Parts: sequence; structure tokens; C-alpha cells
Amino acid sequence: MTAPTVEPVTRLIDQVRVDRYAVAARDPNPIHRETPEAYSGPFGRPVAHGMLVLALVSEAMTNAFGEAWERGGSLKVRWRQPALVPVEVTARATLRSQSADMATYDVSCEDANGEALLTGTASVRLA
Amino acid sequence: MTSSSSPLPAPSPRARLTFGRLSRGDVLPTVDLTITPDDVRAYLAATGEPAERWSERVPPIMLSALMLAVLLAQVEIPKGVLHTGHEHEARRPVQIGEPLAVSISVSSHSVRRGALMATFDAEARSGDDVVAISRASVLVPPDGDAAGDATGGGTGDANGDANGSAE
Repeated sequence: MTAPTVEPVTRLIDQVRVDRYAVAARDPNPIHRETPEAYSGPFGRPVAHGMLVLALVSEAMTNAFGEAWERGGSLKVRWRQPALVPVEVTARATLRSQSADMATYDVSCEDANGEALLTGTASVRLA
Repeated sequence: MTSSSSPLPAPSPRARLTFGRLSRGDVLPTVDLTITPDDVRAYLAATGEPAERWSERVPPIMLSALMLAVLLAQVEIPKGVLHTGHEHEARRPVQIGEPLAVSISVSSHSVRRGALMATFDAEARSGDDVVAISRASVLVPPDGDAAGDATGGGTGDANGDANGSAE
């Protein structure tokens, strides 16, 4: 199997999305919501959940690999800077290497200015 | 813990462990987790990912997020914590409604230049079958509250993502 091209995924992450995510992911941290803690915190305003940003990478990999992403897909990432809400995020994956049974991609999420929010790698077992 | 759609969760009253008192090798109590159709719908509505493909199975990164939620429910993560890194491996598809058991251990816990760093390893099992593993790396800056101030950041932010650019 030839490793496919992974198409980017772009999405606006606004406060409504972050608030919904806080419930769905069971993360009550006030730094993500319009709270005094967020506005008095280190970033001066709410920041999106890192896992919400990372979800775009997983979506891009699912688009490219389907069930193979659920059956041996892996991610290893580091967050590089806060995603201050609202932010338009683009997740990208570029093929780094391929063997007979594994494809590895460099992955990233960037804001609209091209600033990296997250970088890392994603690997998928090739059937 | 059985999942269901619910209002914004409050810090768990059961969360009695504090970040600063954890040690490498500590193992947290195993927690049951069953992800419902409503859970998946709410998650996809939040992330914006098309819902059609996830009518039967759980998005892998959703499972990873809920494995972190298990940690947040058990440990008072301090104000100011940064979720600096994350790893996830999906071993096989997980069906919606499939009963899982999530266990978490502290794989590293150290202080460097006043900053407390820790890594939590999480494993989701279905019976004897490991379906997913995750690793979350977090950092509490020197001015953070490593003792675990429950009045500060709620359960704090191991999921959090103050999106640290630390390191």
C-alpha cells in the first residue's frame, strides 16, 4: 500500500466550540472559558484545549486512512504555544517515511498566521 | 464511571490526590468507562468533525481525551499546569457502548529548576484486550501550585492545555 496524501483540515475554534468541548471532554478547567481565571491567567484570555486542537490532526488522518487509523494509528506531539480563542487552525500531515508496513508523517497545527501551535509525528500501520 | 451527556463537570469530590504528592510508580484506581452515542455526538459537535463516520465507533482521539478526564477526576491538577506533550496509540477500533476500564500510572515525576514535571501513562482495556494507550506530559512552572490548590484551577489542567510551549 502506498501511503496516501493527507489533506489539511482547517477549522475555526471559537468560544462556543471550546465551551462545547469542555463538556464533551469533561474538562472543567476555567482557563478555557470566559472566566476571571482565564482573563487573569498567563495568557490574558481563554485558550482552546490542546486536545481540541489535536483532534484536527486525528480528523485529517481519519480522512486519509479510515479504519486503519483506528487500528494501529499513533500520535506523538508537543504543544508549542497557546491557541488563543478565537483561532483558525489548520492541521497538516506530510509524509516523512514509509516502510513496507508503516507510514510516518510530520504533523502540525498552525494558526492563520502560520505560527505552529503543535508539532509532532503520526504513524499508521499499512495493511 | 459510565458516560452520559451532562452539564459542564464540576471537579470531582472524589479527587483527593494532589499533584505534588504523587510519585513515580503510583497507580491510580482503575475506572470504568463506557462511551455512549450521546457522548460521541456531543464530542463531534464540539470538534466539528463529520459525525456520519462515527455512528458505531469512538473517534480514537476522543477516547484519549476521556482517558485524560479520568485523570482529572482523580487528581487535583494545580493551577498553572501546562499540558506540554501527548502520545496516543489506537490498538483497535472501539465500539460505542463497549465497556472499558481505564488505568493510569505516574511514569515520571521530578522537579527541575523549580518546575515540576510529570508524565501519566493511561491504558484502556476491554476485558483483557488493550484497546488504546496514552501518555500525557505536564509541567507546573515554578510559580505554579504543585501542592494542588483545588480552589485555583478547579481540577486544574492536565488536559490543559494551557498549551504550553515549555521545553
